[in-house]
Amino acid sequence: MVRVSKAVALGVMMLLPMVGHTDDKDVVEYRQHIMKSLEQQTAALGQILSGAGPTENTVAHMQTLALTASIALKSFEPKVPGGAAKPEVWKDWAEFSKRMKDFADKSAEMAKIAREQGADQAALHVIEALPCKGCHDVYRDEKKI
Amino acid sequence: MNRSNAVSRLTWAGIAFVGTLLPISSFADDQDVRDYRSDVMKAMGEQFAALNQITKGKAPAGDVATQAEVLSITAGMAKIAFTPKVLGGEAKPEVWDKWDDFSKRLDEMVAAAADLAKTAKQGGVAAVTPKLSGLSCKGCHDDYRVQKK
Repeated sequence: MVRVSKAVALGVMMLLPMVGHTDDKDVVEYRQHIMKSLEQQTAALGQILSGAGPTENTVAHMQTLALTASIALKSFEPKVPGGAAKPEVWKDWAEFSKRMKDFADKSAEMAKIAREQGADQAALHVIEALPCKGCHDVYRDEKKI
Repeated sequence: MNRSNAVSRLTWAGIAFVGTLLPISSFADDQDVRDYRSDVMKAMGEQFAALNQITKGKAPAGDVATQAEVLSITAGMAKIAFTPKVLGGEAKPEVWDKWDDFSKRLDEMVAAAADLAKTAKQGGVAAVTPKLSGLSCKGCHDDYRVQKK
């Protein structure tokens, strides 16, 4: 019996680093940190592009958005409903993950253009690179924000 | 020149003039200044919290380098956000009363965040953990941020 318990405990310990989250609350909190960071960075970039923020930070915000977008999908991989995520995230996983990959790819492209050609050129790609509302309308519960 | 053409030319001249001013005086009003610095500081708060989770084994270790890099880049934007002397939000007046000290501490934070990002890339979570506690937000917040009630 003791040997079985030890084997189970060892198995759980081996799985933890792969999963990377210790419990459901951690999963929800971590993806909220990622999504809120995206929200703040997008708001800051929006201010700049509307002439109400410091233009010298444009490229930096684009970089942070691309970097954070690159890890966002992974934070939704554990199927843990809660926070503002609707159950549709996991019910329509193929569609959701396709949209998130698209977001990561296009924001990376925007950041690349910003680095190589400057903020003005990159600004032309903002709407395509940051399709936040399209996803939020379907997958985010606005009442839980 | 008829009136319509004159107005049109003036309008375009005005837009062009504002366009040339934007890179220099890029905040439209005081509320924009407060909103912008709030966005930057909140983004940093999220990065810091995410890194804290990672170092405690509560979030994916594989994200550590990305999160640290985002924190570093965002820290580098903070000083510009506080440069306009606009009171309000959660910033105490001491930010500008003691600007030399405040900006020195911001510079130190930027350097520490850059070091953390480099460490994360090279050494992963194990190397980041001891350095994260050295990147203390609290010291500055105690002196320069209005405490939430």
